[in-house]
Amino acid sequence: MKNAIALREVHKSFGTTKIIGGVSLEIREGERHAIIGPNGAGKSTLFNLISGRYEVSAGRILLHDADITNLRPFEINRKGLSRSFQVTNIFHNMSVYENVRCGVLWSAGYRYSFWHRVGGLRDVRRRAEEVMERIGLARRRNALAGTLTYAEQRALEIGVTIAGGASVVLLDEPTSGMSRTETAQVVELIRSVTEGRTLVMVEHDMGVVFGLADRISVLVYGEVLATGTPEEIRANPAVQEAYLGPLHKKAPHA
Amino acid sequence: MKYEPLNLGRWLIWSAAALLFVAAPHLFPGGFALTMLTQMGTLILLALSYNMLLGQGGMLSFGHAVYSGLGAYVTVHVLNLIGKGSFYVPVPLLPLVGGAAGLAFGVLFGYVTTKRAGTTFALISLGIGEMVFACVLMFPGFFGGEAGISTNRVVGKPFLGLSFGPAIQVYYLVAVWCFLGMAAMFALTQTPLGRMANAVRDNPERAEFVGYNTRHVRFLQLVLSSFFAGVSGALSCINFEIVSAENVSAIRSGGVLLATFIGGVPFFFGPVIGAIVFIFFVVALSGFTKAWLLYLGLFFVLMVVYAPGGIASLILMQFPVIRAGRWRELALPYALAALAALLALAGVIGLVEMVYRLSEQGASTVLTVLGVSFDARSAPPWFAFAVVLAAGLAALRVAARRVDERWGAIQLELQAKAA
Repeated sequence: MKNAIALREVHKSFGTTKIIGGVSLEIREGERHAIIGPNGAGKSTLFNLISGRYEVSAGRILLHDADITNLRPFEINRKGLSRSFQVTNIFHNMSVYENVRCGVLWSAGYRYSFWHRVGGLRDVRRRAEEVMERIGLARRRNALAGTLTYAEQRALEIGVTIAGGASVVLLDEPTSGMSRTETAQVVELIRSVTEGRTLVMVEHDMGVVFGLADRISVLVYGEVLATGTPEEIRANPAVQEAYLGPLHKKAPHA
Repeated sequence: MKYEPLNLGRWLIWSAAALLFVAAPHLFPGGFALTMLTQMGTLILLALSYNMLLGQGGMLSFGHAVYSGLGAYVTVHVLNLIGKGSFYVPVPLLPLVGGAAGLAFGVLFGYVTTKRAGTTFALISLGIGEMVFACVLMFPGFFGGEAGISTNRVVGKPFLGLSFGPAIQVYYLVAVWCFLGMAAMFALTQTPLGRMANAVRDNPERAEFVGYNTRHVRFLQLVLSSFFAGVSGALSCINFEIVSAENVSAIRSGGVLLATFIGGVPFFFGPVIGAIVFIFFVVALSGFTKAWLLYLGLFFVLMVVYAPGGIASLILMQFPVIRAGRWRELALPYALAALAALLALAGVIGLVEMVYRLSEQGASTVLTVLGVSFDARSAPPWFAFAVVLAAGLAALRVAARRVDERWGAIQLELQAKAA
C-alpha cells in the first residue's frame, strides 16, 4: 500500500529545546490515522511541520512520495494537503459561504484571477454549497463566521479545510471543547467528509480516537512510542505504561 | 439555493452616481465650484485606489502619492512631447499613460513593500516615499526640481471637437475617468483576487493554508491599485498643467490617507465621501482661514476616536432605524447634539483664529464676528470664547447621552423584533 505521508527522522528544536526528536512515521493512503499522546508530546508541532507552518530542523517529509520538506504552507496545500487548527482559525468577518468559498477558489483553478466575477462562478458556488450542506451550515449561509456558536465555528473550520478537495486532511483536535452530543455529531461529520481521503488527526478524546481511527500512533516526548491498530495500541504495555499510566491496567475505552 | 437576484439597489446607486457626475457643474455653477469638482474627481479616484490597499487588503501605506505622482511626471513629459509634435496621443487617453506608469512603479516598489504585511509594510512604504521624494529633488533634469515641470494641455488638433482648454471640458474628462475607475475598482472587489485580498487582510495565516501566497495577493492588489493612482495623477497633471515634487510628497500621501479614513475605510464608497469632504477643507476652507490644516487635523482625530468607520459608517448606521420608521424619535436628540457641537465649535474657532492672528507677523489683531469687533490682544474675547467652548462641551455631553440612550433603546427593540 502506498504512503500518503511519510516522515523520515524528522527533528524539530526551538533554540535548545528539542520538541520532536527523530520521528519516522508512515501514513497509508486512505487510512484514518490518529496521533495521541500526553500534553506537550509534540502532536501539534508535528502537524505544523507536516503542513509547512514550521520548518523542520532535520529530516524529510514526503507527501505522496514527493518531498515537501520545508515548503511553504500554500505550496503544500496545492499538492493536496489541507489542515484545520486546534484554535478556530477562520475568516471571522466573512459569511459562512464566503469562508467556504475561500477554501474552494484555488483548487477550482481561479487562483489570483481578477477577471472572473466571483458571484458568477457556478462551479465554485456548487462546490461551496455542497460543503455547507455536508457540515450542516447551509441554513447559516449568510451569517458572519464570528457570530456563529462555538460548535458551528468548529464545523466551519472543518468545512474550510475540506472545501478544496485535498486528498490528505489533517485535523487538529476537531472535538476539543465540545459537549458529548456535539462530539458525536462531529465524529459523524469527520467520518463522512473523509470518505475516500486520508485523515490524520490529533485527538484527546479516546472515544473518538478508538471509534474513528484505523491506526493510531502514540507520541511521547517528541518520539513515536508505538504505531498500530486500535487493538494493538490497547494491548501495548509500553503505551499503557508511558501514556495511559500504570494505574490504567485495563484498556482505555469510550 | 436560489440564484442571486438582480441587484436593483446597486443599479440605482450607480445610475445616480453617473447622473450626479453629469449634473454637478449645473447644480454648483461657477468657476470656483468647477475647480473643486474637478479636484474632487481626481481625489475620489486616488482615495478609492488607496482603499484597495488599506480597506480591502489591510495594507496601511504611507507612500501612496508615489504612484500617482510618478504617473503624473510621466504624463507631463508625454504631454510636452505631444506639444513638440514628437508623437500624438489624444489628451483624453493620457490617463492610460499615467496609469501604465503608476502600474510599472507599482511592480517595481510593490515587489519590495509587499514582502511583508502590517507594520513592516507601512514602514517600507514610508521609506520608499521618502526615497522617491529625495530622487525627485536629486534629478532636476527629469523632475524639474522644486519648481517642477509645467505643461500645456491644449496640444495637437482638438479631439472630437474638444480642446480641453476650458475648465468644463477638463471636468468632464475627469468625471468620465473617475466614473470608469470607480466602476472598475468596484468590479475588482467582486473577483477572486478581490475576495482573497479581504481574506488575507482578515487572516493571512489561514489564507496560506487554503493555497494562497499572501505576498502575491498583496503584490497584485498593490499593482492594480497603483494603476488607478497613476490615472488619478495623470488627471491632476492635465488639470493643473504642472507637476512638482509635492505630487510625490509624504504630505500628499498623508492627505490621501486622511481623506480615505474620514470617508470610511470599511466601505467601498467611503473614500468617495472622504475625498469630497477633504477637498472642502483643502480648497474651500483654506480660502477663509490659515488654520484650515489645524481644523482638518482636529476633524481627523475626532473621526478616528469616535467614528473609526468614517462618515460612511455614521450614515449607514441610520438605515436600519429609518427603515423601521424610528428615525423621528432620534431627530430631536440629534438636533440638540448638533447645536451643542456647533456651540463648542464656535468656541474652538474663536480661540484658534485669535491664536493665528497673534502669531502672524504684521496681521491685524482685530477680528470681527457677526458685526462685533474685538482685539485678540485683550482678555475679554479669550474669556468669552473659552466660556462658549466650555458651555458647548458640557451641553454636548448631555446631548450625546440622550442620543446614546435613545439609540440604545431603539436598537434593543429592533433586535427583539428581529429575534
